[in-house]
Amino acid sequence: MVNLTIDGKQVAVEKDATIYDAAKACGIKIPILCHDKKLHPFGGCRMCLVEVEQMKGRLIPACTTPVTEGMIVQTTTDEIVKARKLVLELLLLKHPIDCPVCDAAGDCDLQNLTYEYKVNMNRFVDEKFNHEIDYENPLIERDMNRCIHCGKCARICDEIVSYGAYTFINRGIEAKMGTEFDGPLNCEFCGSCVSVCPVGALNSRPFKFKARWWALQKTKSVCSYCGTGCQLTLGTKDGKVLTTIYDENQGFHNGQLCTRGRFGYQFVNSDKRLTAPLVRRNGKLQEATWEEALAEVTSRLAAGKSDPASVAALATARLTNEELFLFGKLFRGTIGTDNIDHSAGYAHEALTKGAVASFGVAASPAEIADVQKSSLLLVVKSDAYETHPVVGFEINLGVKRKGVALRIVSDKKGKLTRLPGAKTTVHAPGNEVALFNALCKSVIDQGLAAEGVAGLDALKAAVADATAEKAGVSAEEIAAIAKEFASAEKALIILPIGQGYPGHNAALANAAANLAILTGQYGKEGAGLLIMGEKNNSQGAVDMGIYPKGTGLNAAAIIDGCASGNVKTLFVAGENPVVSYPNRKKVEKALENVEFMVVSDLFLTETAAMADVVLPAVSFAEKSGTFTSLGRRVQNVRKAIPAIGLAKSDFEILNTISQALGGARYNNQGEVFTEIAASVPAYKGLTQAGLKDEGAVYPVALTAKLVPAAAKAAAPVAGKLALVTGSALYHCGTMSRFGEGPMYVCPDAYAELNVADAAALKIAEGDQVTVTSGTGAVQVAAKVGKRVPQGVVFSPYHFGEGSVNTITDGAEVTYVSVAKK
Amino acid sequence: MIMPLIKGLQITISHMFKKPVTLQYPTERPDVKPGFRGLHALNVSHDKAKCVACYLCPTVCPAKCITVEAGEDQNHDKYAAKYEIDMLRCIFCGYCVEACPVDAIRMTEEFELANYTRADFTYTKDRLLEKK
Repeated sequence: MVNLTIDGKQVAVEKDATIYDAAKACGIKIPILCHDKKLHPFGGCRMCLVEVEQMKGRLIPACTTPVTEGMIVQTTTDEIVKARKLVLELLLLKHPIDCPVCDAAGDCDLQNLTYEYKVNMNRFVDEKFNHEIDYENPLIERDMNRCIHCGKCARICDEIVSYGAYTFINRGIEAKMGTEFDGPLNCEFCGSCVSVCPVGALNSRPFKFKARWWALQKTKSVCSYCGTGCQLTLGTKDGKVLTTIYDENQGFHNGQLCTRGRFGYQFVNSDKRLTAPLVRRNGKLQEATWEEALAEVTSRLAAGKSDPASVAALATARLTNEELFLFGKLFRGTIGTDNIDHSAGYAHEALTKGAVASFGVAASPAEIADVQKSSLLLVVKSDAYETHPVVGFEINLGVKRKGVALRIVSDKKGKLTRLPGAKTTVHAPGNEVALFNALCKSVIDQGLAAEGVAGLDALKAAVADATAEKAGVSAEEIAAIAKEFASAEKALIILPIGQGYPGHNAALANAAANLAILTGQYGKEGAGLLIMGEKNNSQGAVDMGIYPKGTGLNAAAIIDGCASGNVKTLFVAGENPVVSYPNRKKVEKALENVEFMVVSDLFLTETAAMADVVLPAVSFAEKSGTFTSLGRRVQNVRKAIPAIGLAKSDFEILNTISQALGGARYNNQGEVFTEIAASVPAYKGLTQAGLKDEGAVYPVALTAKLVPAAAKAAAPVAGKLALVTGSALYHCGTMSRFGEGPMYVCPDAYAELNVADAAALKIAEGDQVTVTSGTGAVQVAAKVGKRVPQGVVFSPYHFGEGSVNTITDGAEVTYVSVAKK
Repeated sequence: MIMPLIKGLQITISHMFKKPVTLQYPTERPDVKPGFRGLHALNVSHDKAKCVACYLCPTVCPAKCITVEAGEDQNHDKYAAKYEIDMLRCIFCGYCVEACPVDAIRMTEEFELANYTRADFTYTKDRLLEKK
């Protein structure tokens, strides 16, 4: 610790702190424009000038000067104020004073400082800039005339997002923040640059002119897209979510968001939202009252009580813990059926079967905080960035700032593979388990296994023939990764799961866990296995037991049951099986065949359109509750706006049905959480109030066990391409289709091909192609690049039109032929 | 006793020969003084309302009678797609005029605002623009 005096106050800070940090620690505010706590110090704006007794004669920038013992600092003397005023005058010389039409007004650092330092005159005169404004891209408006050259956008894009869309171009007075060839911005559109811009040079286009900063109501909540559990602040006005507001003190991610989180909120107030219940009469869905709709549902469910096996229920992992708990209680308790499931049944198996078998808990053994604390990350699939972009930022930071080594085993390349020092092993699609088995074998062969691991002999026998060749990778690569992983101080495996990744199942979780257990890389900080659930409450859905526990049917069996007629009543809360479950035709047939189907959803989805009763549900912005994100963090979701139309939360819907069927009734969702805390062991002692803003990570006690995982041999079909599905960076599940932001950037389904394959098939970027498999055929646009290796096609699964599940049937890899339309 | 009475009558009678202070409205029109705060008007420049929809008037308005909605025109500029004043709520304080950074709103000398229906008291952008 270093002791120093700031404005007469004694303060002791870490030795790597700057004067700015020290002042902040003792509550003294030093004005800044170019500094951000997440970024490396820059020292460009000269607003933070202070006086240091030991360095008299000149003013010192507080944000770049490290503290020294006995330093005496003054932060506001006449000379300092004069210098700061000069800085502001010079900035205002070129800055267009168009605050009335600038969306940043009210939240503008330059405006606030100008007001604070009373800069109402300018002794200099000059012409303003006349840069062209970039209106070309759909999400970020760049008005470089307003730019004050703090460089924060370029630094955040480089340091945290690792994209590098911006840099200073030209010199002197002509210097400006430029893009690639000074053209329109074309990047990932995460909007990090918009969030840190201290003025209105970078603006969110979807929010343009929607409201002034001071008129917005701010509600802290949690993002409802992927499982990362990023906290966000919703800016609302007149019952509408208008924007997400950047708060650098929110969450583990310090307010960082991805495209969906920052620009995908429009689904909440979409015109397509259901506002009234619909009941099918004479074959057509017609508007009805809640009483009519619920009466129909309860009478069907009440009839189902006498034959519980004929009732089945599917829930989405987007509901709150409270709703899912009530869902489980209603169907498992009151109605007495075990036929409940979520996420297509296979997307949670890595947790509910894999982690249970290997670690004895149905949860991810590691948490997000481990990413930066690790010394080696082994990422399964480069898609980890696409599925969970903000965890991707953590990986970027770990690699670039903390020197974490990055190893990727993937069937294609991606953004992560381009990080400094990242080594990527591209294997043949569907060979993940074989690859991990080969790694385990290599660890054992090299004598790197930790001592005294139980079940080692069984594993040895199981992986005896798991050679590198079987995984389609060179033996040297396997040996190198195995050695690095085993000898790393702390090594963490990152495994994203989801409906787009049928191969990321229990077997893969076991195989990955085996490697961690074998090398002793688990149960300590920065090591283990991080299983990343796909949706905002994937972990919560598992914790609440929304999967068959006994003899009940899983999601796939429920669909089969619907087709065969064994399942007569199907309750679907928010799932969209028609688009997101494998084999669309089969699912459609099954849902047509089921006697009675009720769907509660925000939109009239492909599935809801087939239902007998459709109940309008509410989005995360219209309800309170808790989500459990990946890494077991339970966080509060808060209601920001009243429900749209007549929509009701799933809690209200389930509560009413439960009461009508003679089950439990709760006065509010808070009561359910109290019951969760009492009956779910992991949540013991938690209260909603106690979660506060930051949430809580519940602990797990691991009992590690080696569980041999059988590798399915992927059998390539000659002349066909291997189709792998997954997540697109801009989308998550099927809900992001209703957010304008993601749809501006990625509106349609596509198939990504390697340049060599495309050339052979005479396909160019943007061509419509027909992808045919044994299951069906689908038409999508082609995307051509070098990301996917030769012989592989990648297609995201989110879209209703040209949905990839038309041609897949739940296999890890589907062999397809691609032809130009 | 009698003297004060006479004195009083004297004042009364003297007024019979003076100019009356009351105004014979509506046949006679008042002389509206400068700075009078009457009905609002939106100023026009180059055939367009000057208003840039900065929302400062609804922000400052103590009666909360101004509703503004901003729009984006073809040149990507901000303009008031909706500008409404609820005259039944307005207290004619003139803060809107004072707050306006672009001199887009003024208060005219018009004070005869009586009308027949409530809806007539909602002054839309078109009505406010009429009096140039």
